[in-house]
Amino acid sequence: MQTWDPRQPIYQQLADILAAQLLDGEPTEGTAMPSVRALAGRYLLNPLTVNRALQALGDEGLLESRRGMGLYVRAGARERLKAVERQRFLETEWPRLRERLRRLGIAPAQLNWEERA
Amino acid sequence: MNAADIQHPQATDQLVEARDLTVRYGAKRAVDGVSFSIPKGRVVGLLGHNGAGKSTLMKALVGLAPTEGALSVLGLDPVKDRVTLLESACYIPDVATLPRWARVGELIRMMSSLHPHFSAERAAALLQRTSVSPRDKVKNLSKGMVVQAHLALIAAIDAKLMILDEPTLGLDVLSRKAFYEMLIDEWCDGERSVLISTHQVEEIESLLSDVLMLNEGKLVLSISLEDMDQRFVALSHDASVAQEMAAAHPLLKYRVGPGPNGNAALFDGPPPASVEALGRRVRPSLVDLFVALTRKPELDRTQF
Repeated sequence: MQTWDPRQPIYQQLADILAAQLLDGEPTEGTAMPSVRALAGRYLLNPLTVNRALQALGDEGLLESRRGMGLYVRAGARERLKAVERQRFLETEWPRLRERLRRLGIAPAQLNWEERA
Repeated sequence: MNAADIQHPQATDQLVEARDLTVRYGAKRAVDGVSFSIPKGRVVGLLGHNGAGKSTLMKALVGLAPTEGALSVLGLDPVKDRVTLLESACYIPDVATLPRWARVGELIRMMSSLHPHFSAERAAALLQRTSVSPRDKVKNLSKGMVVQAHLALIAAIDAKLMILDEPTLGLDVLSRKAFYEMLIDEWCDGERSVLISTHQVEEIESLLSDVLMLNEGKLVLSISLEDMDQRFVALSHDASVAQEMAAAHPLLKYRVGPGPNGNAALFDGPPPASVEALGRRVRPSLVDLFVALTRKPELDRTQF
């Protein structure tokens, strides 16, 4: 069963999982999110916790509520998520990575940008 | 608060109200003066060691045990109004079995004729979620499948309260997961509540909205998980500050993981600021709280 990190609120961890799925296009923009009960069943969480996670994603402008039909993925949600992720990479991950590259003496020219894994 | 203060459930949204509830078996108080309430839309875990009084309390809620004190379930007196109560509450006792000779489809027809709020269509739809077919005989089903079929039958009753006494006992992890998935997805709609007892505390913690903890018949904790996170503080810390932590008299010392900061101390209420600075706040786990609050006194001396 799913294990949750005790250092972070569970709803935040679920919001992160769902955001990662949205970034991968699951579900795609303009389509419905799974229901609270379906998510609660899938992740074995109390529905109140699921509600809080969805609320958090709504607050970030990723979901919209359609009257009587539940929550839908907003148009532009992936772009928005990507922008947030880019920002996070540039602000926190990149300085650490750059520091490591410098320490190892790796020059930009040595980094292969073209080849795909 | 006394019995006269208990309001009608429609007014308070309380499905269960117990005040100073006691159940005696001879001279023994199996349930000893417990007070709690269960509002609608909750998933309540009933925790306790074997013999703590869980099953007795559940029996009392459906009128199967004589009680002292005030008890109202769905606005009814469980002993006096037992027949009416059982029409709008579902109960799976820990000793529940389905007749081995019957086919599941026959059980659905039987329930239809016996129970006024049972829906055969809903039972059939719920059964579709499982690997059980209406043509299957109970005796040919695995233990996990029997429990799923039982839940499908019970959840097809249009009721406000479900009481499950150790429903997943003896099931493997996949069957347990399937059981809880169906329970949450098909039963919990924000209006109905479920009271569930289990020993697999870790597994159901994230499912629960509230917890009731019994120790030797007494209620040692009745709290929502949200309030629990507020009231109890767990600090993960390094072994090097273990002495300072212990000096602050935590409720429990335990391990949260390997390596540095793998120790933790659990406090009821905020720990002294000096101690708080030595650790890092983590979410207190229900199982650790359970251990802390239900330890046998004689273990106290030897364990620590």
